[in-house]
Parts: sequence; structure tokens; C-alpha cells
Amino acid sequence: MGEFLLNNLSDFWTLTGFANASASGLIMILVGILFIYLAIRHGFEPMLLIPIGFGILIGNIPFDTNAGLEIGVYEEGSVLNILYQGVRQGWYPPLIFLGIGAMTDFSALISNPKLILVGAAAQFGIFGAYMVALLLGFEPNQAAGIAIIGGADGPTAIFLSSKLSPNLLGAIAVCAYSYMAMVPLIQPPIMRLLTTKKEKLIRMKPARAVSQTEKIIFPIIGLLLTCFVVPSALPLLGMLFLGNLLKESGATRRLADTAKGPLIDSITILLGMTVGASTQASEFISWSTIFIFFLGLVAFCIATMSGVLFVKFFNIFLSKDNKINPLIGNAGVSAVPMSARISQNVGLEYDPTNYLLMHAMGPNVAGVIGSAVAAGVLLGFLS
Amino acid sequence: MNKRTIGIFFVLLLTICLKAEAQGVKSVRINEVMITNETNFLDDYGLHSAWIELYNSSFASVNVESCFLTNDKNNPRMYPIPKEDIQTEIPPRQHLLFWADGLPSRGTFHLSFKLDPTKENWIGLYDANGITLIDEVTIPAGTLLADQSYAREDDGSLNWVVKGQDNQHYVTPSSNNMTKDSNSKIESFKVHDGSGFLMAIMAMIIVFSCLLLLATSFKIIGKIAIWINKKNQIKSKGISNKNEQKETDLGNTPGEIYAAIGMALHEYQDNVHDIEDTVLTINKVKRNYSPWSSKIYTLTETPRKH
Repeated sequence: MGEFLLNNLSDFWTLTGFANASASGLIMILVGILFIYLAIRHGFEPMLLIPIGFGILIGNIPFDTNAGLEIGVYEEGSVLNILYQGVRQGWYPPLIFLGIGAMTDFSALISNPKLILVGAAAQFGIFGAYMVALLLGFEPNQAAGIAIIGGADGPTAIFLSSKLSPNLLGAIAVCAYSYMAMVPLIQPPIMRLLTTKKEKLIRMKPARAVSQTEKIIFPIIGLLLTCFVVPSALPLLGMLFLGNLLKESGATRRLADTAKGPLIDSITILLGMTVGASTQASEFISWSTIFIFFLGLVAFCIATMSGVLFVKFFNIFLSKDNKINPLIGNAGVSAVPMSARISQNVGLEYDPTNYLLMHAMGPNVAGVIGSAVAAGVLLGFLS
Repeated sequence: MNKRTIGIFFVLLLTICLKAEAQGVKSVRINEVMITNETNFLDDYGLHSAWIELYNSSFASVNVESCFLTNDKNNPRMYPIPKEDIQTEIPPRQHLLFWADGLPSRGTFHLSFKLDPTKENWIGLYDANGITLIDEVTIPAGTLLADQSYAREDDGSLNWVVKGQDNQHYVTPSSNNMTKDSNSKIESFKVHDGSGFLMAIMAMIIVFSCLLLLATSFKIIGKIAIWINKKNQIKSKGISNKNEQKETDLGNTPGEIYAAIGMALHEYQDNVHDIEDTVLTINKVKRNYSPWSSKIYTLTETPRKH
């Protein structure tokens, strides 16, 4: 009897986390705790970093992978694996985009359509990072998956990397969301560096009021024009514009409320948690992850620079009354509304009465469209 | 709209309709045919028979049940592919093999006709209506020797070749006609655009064009909206003088003015009048109880005894 007890307890010990712990797994657990700390203590994108951080803890609890317990995120049929399919098959990102569409007010962009081009210019961050990634030896499909981090759009990054470079998905997703949380640290120095005192003080013409009809037409025309050019962006842009139509039509308030409330919240929790859980140390800790984090930073910097520099270039062709403040150039990346808030804050540092927020929202939401189009282009070229 | 524009419109419409059809059973292709099978693939009875391979060129599963395979143009309904056999569903970009042994009693995939190596062989695949021809192939007499197949060069491609004559051109029943060990698009980019510069140029041109198109459209829509708004305001305010219209800058009111009006109304409603407990409203007010609607006041009281 005693032997029977000892054997079973000994077997049970082999299944515990203590028996299967590894140094790399513990490092990842510390990274997860760091994410949770940054989110709670310093308020860095808590809605993203808390589920991701906790997901990292879940994904790195050590267990015996040969025991057939069906608990790991990579074990087919496990609960975590089923939830992970939303990331792996790329259907969480379009649902997130549905919610973003239902939350976003495109009036700033409709009232001043030329700001859409700033959103296009900032996408150079993606292609600049693509070139650097190729230099570092990544394959074109992997380079594209990594470079999309420069769009500053987590769902788009997950969508594209799940199609083009699924083996790097975990690192790309964590990197994209980490840098999105760090946008307030990355962008301001670049913005200050690339603009003159005079440019920082430019006051932009107030945006005109946009009629409800224009707001309703926008998602319909937007979908048709962008997806006829880049059909591969259809899952993202289709859902984005559908969400926006639900909001603006005024006839589907309940659906819009669901899309921007319970639906996007549920998907955000699942997405964050499963992305975190997918960072199992055995899959995650590698040189390519370090390169991805480096390239993500490069992509963010290039995107910010290209947005600001494009506005400066664009101003050459604009009349004195229609000049654009280059401090909104950073908002061409699609970190909504954080980049726009940064434009506002940096603008207020130089002129406490110059409110740039609504002007920056134009390129910011254009960045969402631009990064989805860029993802569609890369998917079209390389899939 | 001139005739040319109408023509372009209908061509585009037709293209869209044709594309829409391409995702169903019409995307199935006759992909490879072997007429004389001496030492090649064995069927499920262990026999060497002629075979016909179908290929689903779409990215969705397609069920070919109720479609017809035939080698007689005058009898399109020669072999109806049986219903309710789950194996008749071809997964995306995959193949299905039929045995042309004239023994349909042996199962779903055994056809009711044989192929004749001495004559020209025509094979047709018809839709379930028995009228619409989905795909056809004609194998000229004497083209194939024993164990050779007549196949599309690549799965679903237009070019047909003879396979089985050497090790380079092997027969591929139930398999891809061309073995691919890499993504041709990626390989092409690696060869022609090692630095990624061309990709950056092309992609930025597309992104810019797409968003420029959007910007231009909304510039035009915005102008129309301002014009309509202006017309409406002129009508409602009764302004007839053109100079007065210009001075008032109708239809181009900045959003800030509306924001200021909105804020003023908010202040007025919520801050100035924040102590009253009554609110003037057009919403229906529902009360659960009111003495006016209470039953107790409408009942006759029971007389009390003193």
C-alpha cells in the first residue's frame, strides 16, 4: 500500500510545474509580471498589457508536454488551443476592427480629406522596416510580418503574421502591443527633433461640421474604393467600415453598442490572453525574437519620422491659411487615439492654446485604413 | 453617359458575375487522364484501370455529387456521380480520382464507361442539370502510350502535356501535377528585390493611390455637401442677395461653432438648472403606481359594522 502511494505521488510530482520548470520559462514568467506591473503601476495600455501579461504567465506554467494533458496552447484540442485559433486563423483581428469602426468618428478626416495622405505617408515605417529586416537575413514573408509592426496596429500585425509568418506570430504580436504601449515614449523626441519652433506653433484652420449623410456615405465609399484596389485587405477594412456604418446609420444603435462594448471587450480579453499564452519560452526565446523587437522599434521610428517629414513637405504646396502643423504627422500611425493625444500634448507644450487633438484624429484614423491597406498589399504580393 | 461608358460598365458587371461563379462546382477541372494503365496506379480492387482525375481549383470545398462524367457528347448524363457519399467533396486545391473501368457497381468512383486507346477520347464534366458543360478535354488518338497520362502542366492550368515518358515528367494520380517546394512569389522577390526597395516603392504607390482616391472622393463629396447645406440655409433664411450669401459664408460653418453651441446648451441644462427636481421632457413618463389609476379607489367599500 505504501509503495502504491509513493509511486502515485512520485508520478504526480513529475506532472507538477516544479518538476518541469526551466530557466527560460521562469524568465518569461518574470516578463509577464513586468507587463502586469507596467500596466497597473504606470498605466501603460492596461487593457492590452494585463491580458497579455497574464497570458504569458498562463503560457509559461511548466508542465509535462508528453503527458497528453491537452492543456498547452499548442496542443490540438486543448481549451487554450481552441481559443488560440482566433489568433492563428486570424479571425480575432477583424472582430476587433468591427469594434474600432463602431467607436471611431471619421468626421475629422471627412472634413479635411487631405489629412488622409499623412496616414498613407506614415506607412513607410512598415516598408522601411521591411528593408532592414531583409538586411538582417529574414525571408521576405517573415520580413513583411515583422515590418507590419510599424503600422502600430496590433490586430493588423496579428492578421498579417498569421498568414505570412505564423512561426513568428507570438513575438510579433507581443512586440506590436508592447510598442503601442510605449508610443508616448518613442514618438515625442522624434517629433521635437524634426520640427522647427515656427512649425510647432502653426495653428490649423478649424474643421468644418460634417453632415450625417457624409458620415453615412464614408464607410460605404471607403469600403468600395479601398477594397476594389486591395481586396486582400477585405477582412479588416470590411469589418472596420461595417462597424462605422452601424454607428453612423443611427438605425442600429444596439448593434453598434454591442460592437464597441461587449464584443470588442470580449475579443480583446481573448486576444490578449492567447497572444500572451503563445509566448511559451520554448517557442519565444530566440535570436529572432530579439531582432523582431529591434525591428519593431525601427519601424515605429521610421513611421513617426515619415509622417512628420511628409507634413513638412506637404506644407510647401499649401497656402498660408491651410498649413498643417507637422506635430500631427506622428498620428499617421494607427495607434488610435494615443498618437493623436501625443500630438495634442506636444503641441500644448509650445502653445497652451493650440489644440491639435481633433486635427490629429484625421491622420490617426487614416492610419488605421492605411495600415490595413499596407497589410493587404503585402499579403497580395507575398501569399 | 455615352455608349462607351455603358459598355465598360456592362463588361465590368459581367466580369464580376463570372468571378462570382468561379467559387462553386464550376471551378472543378479535368486535370489528368490515363487511358492505358498497365503498371500504374491500382484501384481499390487491386486492378489497373484507366483513370480520370478532377481538380478543385477554388479555395473552398466543392461537392461534385449529381454532376455527370461522360465520354459521349450526345449523352451528357452517362455517369451521374452518386449523391450522399462524403468522399465526393473535394477539399480546396485538391484532387479526386475516378476509374474508367465500366464497372459502376464497384462504387462511387468507378465510371460506367471505358476509354478506348485506339480512338480519340473526349471526356466531359457536366453540371447537375446535365446541360451546362463545366470542363472537357479531347485526347487525340495515339497520343498516349501505356502508363502515360495526358495532364495539365500545372494543376488547373490551360496547357496540356503528356506525362510518364521520362523521370522528369512523371504521372501524378491524386497528386499535384507540378511539385512545388517553395512559394514562387517569395522566390521571385528574393531574386529580383533582395533589398526590398522595389517592394517599398510599389507598396507605397498602392497605399498612396488608394488613400488619394479616398481623399479625392471625399473632397468632392464634401464640396457637394457644403453646396447643399448652403442652398438649404439660403432657403431657410430667405437670403436672395449674392453678396450677402458670400459674406455669411453659408454652408462652411466650422465644427467649433457647433461645439460651442452644444457646450452652452449643456451648461444651461446641467449647471444652471441642476437643483430642480422636475424636467421638461417629451419622453413618456411611466409610473408604477398612481392614486388615479389605483383599483382600490374604484372599488365599493365594504360597509363597516359599528
